[in-house]
Amino acid sequence: MISQFFVLSQRGDNIVFRDYRGEVPKGSAEIFFRKVKFWKGDEQDDAPPVFNVDGVNYIHVKVAGLLFVATTRVNVSPSLVLELLQRIARVTKDYLGVLNEESLRKNFVLVYELLDEVIDFGYPQTTSTEALKSYVFNEPIVVDAARLPPLGPASMFMQGTKRMPGTAVTKSVVANEPGGRKREEIFVDIIEKISVTFSSSGYILTSEIDGTIQMKSYLTGNPEIRLALNEDLSIGRTGASVYDYNSSSGGVVILDDCNFHESVHLDSFDVDRTLTLVPPDGEFAVMNYRMTQEFKPPFRINALIEEAGALKAEVILKIRADFAPTVTANTIAVSMPLPAYTTRVSYELESGAVGQTTDFKESNKKIEWNLKKIVGGSEHTLRAKLTFFQESHGNITREAGPVSMSFTIPMYNASRLQVRYLQIAKKSKSYNPYRWVRYVTQSNSYVARL
Amino acid sequence: MSGHDSKYFSTTKKGEIPELKEELNSQYKDSQDSNPLIRALAVRTMGCIRVDKITEYLCDPLQRCLKDDDPYVRKTASICVAKLYDINAELVEDRGFLDTLKDLISDNNPMVVANAVAALAEIQENSHMPIFEITSHTLSKLLTALNECTEWGQVFILDALSRYKAADAREAENIVERVTPRLQHANCAVVLSAVKMILQQMELITSTDVVRNLCKKMSPPLVTLLSAEPETQYVVLRNINLIVQRRPTILAHEIKVFFCKYNDPIYVKMEKLEIMIKLASDRNIDQVLLEFKEYATEVDVDFVRKAVRAIGRCAIKLERAAERCISVLLELIKIKVNYVVQEAIIVIKDIFRRYPNTYESIIATLCESLDTLDEPEAKASMIWIIGEYAERIDNADELLESFLETFREEPALVQLQLLTAIVKLFLKKPTEGPQQMIQAVLNHATVETDNPDLRDRAYIYWRLLSSDPEAAKDVVLAEKPVISDDSNQLDPSLLDELLANIATLSSVFHKPPDAFVSRAKSAVSRPDDDYPDGAESGYSELPAQMSDSVPAPTSSSGVSQASTRQPAPAPAAPVPDLLGDLIGMDNALVPTDQPTTNSGPPLPVVLPSSTGQGLQISAQLIRRDGQIFYSMLFENNSQLTLDGFMIQFNKNTFGLAHAGQLQVPQLPPGSTARTLLPMVAFQNLSPGPPSSLLQVAVKNNQQPVCYFTDKILLNVFFSEDGRMERANFLETWKSLPDSNEIAKDLPGAVIHSIDATIERLAATNVFFIAKRRRTNEEVLYLSVKAARGIPFLIEVTTVLGTPGVKCAIKTPNPEMAPLFFEAMESLLR
Repeated sequence: MISQFFVLSQRGDNIVFRDYRGEVPKGSAEIFFRKVKFWKGDEQDDAPPVFNVDGVNYIHVKVAGLLFVATTRVNVSPSLVLELLQRIARVTKDYLGVLNEESLRKNFVLVYELLDEVIDFGYPQTTSTEALKSYVFNEPIVVDAARLPPLGPASMFMQGTKRMPGTAVTKSVVANEPGGRKREEIFVDIIEKISVTFSSSGYILTSEIDGTIQMKSYLTGNPEIRLALNEDLSIGRTGASVYDYNSSSGGVVILDDCNFHESVHLDSFDVDRTLTLVPPDGEFAVMNYRMTQEFKPPFRINALIEEAGALKAEVILKIRADFAPTVTANTIAVSMPLPAYTTRVSYELESGAVGQTTDFKESNKKIEWNLKKIVGGSEHTLRAKLTFFQESHGNITREAGPVSMSFTIPMYNASRLQVRYLQIAKKSKSYNPYRWVRYVTQSNSYVARL
Repeated sequence: MSGHDSKYFSTTKKGEIPELKEELNSQYKDSQDSNPLIRALAVRTMGCIRVDKITEYLCDPLQRCLKDDDPYVRKTASICVAKLYDINAELVEDRGFLDTLKDLISDNNPMVVANAVAALAEIQENSHMPIFEITSHTLSKLLTALNECTEWGQVFILDALSRYKAADAREAENIVERVTPRLQHANCAVVLSAVKMILQQMELITSTDVVRNLCKKMSPPLVTLLSAEPETQYVVLRNINLIVQRRPTILAHEIKVFFCKYNDPIYVKMEKLEIMIKLASDRNIDQVLLEFKEYATEVDVDFVRKAVRAIGRCAIKLERAAERCISVLLELIKIKVNYVVQEAIIVIKDIFRRYPNTYESIIATLCESLDTLDEPEAKASMIWIIGEYAERIDNADELLESFLETFREEPALVQLQLLTAIVKLFLKKPTEGPQQMIQAVLNHATVETDNPDLRDRAYIYWRLLSSDPEAAKDVVLAEKPVISDDSNQLDPSLLDELLANIATLSSVFHKPPDAFVSRAKSAVSRPDDDYPDGAESGYSELPAQMSDSVPAPTSSSGVSQASTRQPAPAPAAPVPDLLGDLIGMDNALVPTDQPTTNSGPPLPVVLPSSTGQGLQISAQLIRRDGQIFYSMLFENNSQLTLDGFMIQFNKNTFGLAHAGQLQVPQLPPGSTARTLLPMVAFQNLSPGPPSSLLQVAVKNNQQPVCYFTDKILLNVFFSEDGRMERANFLETWKSLPDSNEIAKDLPGAVIHSIDATIERLAATNVFFIAKRRRTNEEVLYLSVKAARGIPFLIEVTTVLGTPGVKCAIKTPNPEMAPLFFEAMESLLR
């Protein structure tokens, strides 16, 4: 099992270090950091998450800009270690509210206490915040979340819409509110990451949705909860090809595959698509799902690059938002690699453009176009004039692109998977906790080829 | 709260025994505390005191805690048994803790079950005795526990069960049925361990329907794992790589999920590419090619190269798609991005080998890029193509001549290829131009080079051409075997072993566990040891797949590399005396100034290029003029120019260390360099019994440190002043007690002639004293003075001409005897 666990900052500082078995030499953290930092001699390539140096196996994940690392000498299950590292990060975040170098340093007594309960002699014991509460007694020292960049998937709710009680998700699940009583509330977030690849002619080559129903409960007494999904939800695609888009599925949501948290009871799931669970404290994924069924992509990208005389070319980028005008996407970034011999780019934004910025960096030869927000139904265009220092080799479209796009769309979900209702077993008539059901769609790999 | 104190005790103190006893007393009391938390903390803490003397104190509380009412105490105690076993295995067995642990598998608390299984599995791994054998009884117990267990416990159970061999297909099916629901688990480790278990049992299942059904069931969960964090994706991809080699049907229809996303980390992209090649079929090749073409225009150079190579590999794999693949490659060549062109030429050469006389029409296009080539492998490939098709390329002689101008500066790979290509050209077009070229190239290759490979090959051609040009044609222009696809390149037995290790590190590294697992706890206890025991030198750059993706050729080009060293079918018999023959036969042809740097017998290879990332090192300790040298030969088979070589020796019995700097010039790819490194002894002594082990670390500016081990033969320490007078010899012999006399048979040694042997031994500072005959045996008396003036008096008894020499020695330092015999045997071989 694992020998050591440690957390390093981006600069390689040792923030947390715990040795469970004393079989790996002490200098392992430095050896690890040097290896990761200069993988293949440069700082560009990411080191693979699992590697071996001198008989010591190093397994690591990056969470919130920190490196969570485990070492071992034996032939362990690497996915178990990776999962464990992710869970440690999550439990720590549950306890500290925010996960970063400062919060870890301020709370090191608590963190070491947690680590002693989470792992014994290198074996994972429990990673459930709920279960840990009975054995961990130190109180977290809360770090001021407001001045720190928020982290984790739920942080996306902090931008834009004011309805979201953003700070709630960065509060510790164990710390009491300054006012004394805890606020009774529960968050259910439907987070979807979508990947779409458009061909040069605008057809969808591949599309996929990775979704998660995430829950974070601050309810006292852990009441039972019922979560109802689309009644006509179906799971597992029939037929030979998963990518057979011709199957006219109507309004039915078809998931390719899904899995559930261990606290979820699926007794009535087959009947009426409801999930019953007693949510443990802390943030956890109630359900993960994957869908390759055809869906309407939120953005259409239209990109054109054309030579315009000797050593010159013009790029036209058009983005159309294919969703309802009541919905607004935010923090949109569009980027397009240009031919390596591009020296200068001059941009021309549409008239009256607000909150749009453009950039071209000599070092990476990319058009970078950032838009603060895009309202549903609108269309935005960017023109760019390129100057080259040499002739193109003939086919300029092969030397530029593809266009990639990143964005966040709150209150929108591409899969149409819905939480029909969220029911909390009532303790008394006056018991009426806050329920937040939130949807958000994020880009994963959103690409249009030229 | 004393429970809290004890908690920090385990992390802070590992101190003195008296202190410990005191602490233990308080721990002992704690272990009977009414608060279960404190009882558990006490037993956990006691397990952390890794002192053998203390273990007795631990037994009673541990016994009690294993049967505690509180599950938290029991689960902590279960792990404590594993801790105790690590310190004192016998005690654990004697006190019956193992049986208690086995009972805990049926505990009603999931965490207790998980820890009991984990502890038993670890104990079994460190024991040679069957402690935790999976019988059909434990099997059913564990399968029941699987449903009750924590997620981590499920992984422990599945991994423990994967060692179980089902009795028949029915039992296998039953097991699979119980395990299949685990595929739906949210924990990636559970899913992957379940997949391992199912794959394992599938081997026994005979019904094709059941197998097909299982394949179908495994596919969606495997794909879902690819939505996890990139780190997990990487592990899953490495595993899928193995799985599809055995059961391609599982993911045959899912090739799209392996298409690279633009934001995938490079290590994920590389793995996806590999799997795409494996899953490419006539059905999906158009889609796949479209993807590869797209990747070939991306920014990351390594990834682009791999994508280009992937197109070539698909062409070789899928005959019907070859033409489409080639047209994509040609399209890419037209972009004129330098590294794309070079990579394309390398794979096209392989395609020509796979489909001879089919696609030669594209040679003209390839020739257009001739002058942009600057990488050795690409140059060599292009030259091979020109030589192979010299008769169809009008200006082949001009093209080769242009390469010939820079012959001296080219790396060995290119030189060898150019030599062969010009010979081919000459055989195909024996006109004046090629004839001059061949004179020039043979002259360069025999006179002006230090590279023995090149020189030998040149001599072989020379002799062939001068003695029998028709035979030369048969040899050089012989039809080459057609290469085949290599995308399933793992050796079947290795694949079997790796598949049995799915969901472990072994399946990520694609190496069997014993290649990288070393339970060397001693590595920590000896802080001055620079080299942890058993550290495999070559695995520091794991995974191999990643590191060899660029420089080292994949095995398809490995095949063509073999073709590079071409005249394999050269007549074997005349080769040994070829040189002498040549000299006698035609003096005009023979260069008079033989390069002297290559004298001496070949050095043994100590670091093969497979573990040295293309750097091969051959080395041996030698003694010359009373001084010890490390004679080294560096061969750079990588794609990088290597420089800044440094060397370091670990502590060793003789304290050998380098006396000067390692003088190795810059090594371009394909070149070699020899050096003599002066050594000093008794600088760097390691304590302990004498050992001949010499651990060496070499590094350069381009590659990470590589380690290798060499053997110190005692004879390098035999000093020139070791000769003894007869009287002195007898006196010393008598003065040494009989316990200092050691004898050994050296089965590998043989003496043919006494006089020749005496002379040879004298050259290595083993001095002759006297000889006598005993019936048919010869007895020799010899003397040696080894390191620091230690005398060795030697009596050698043998029958002339028959292998096997009896060697008896007397010395004040008998502990050196094994090393001495080793040296003696090598001298008399």
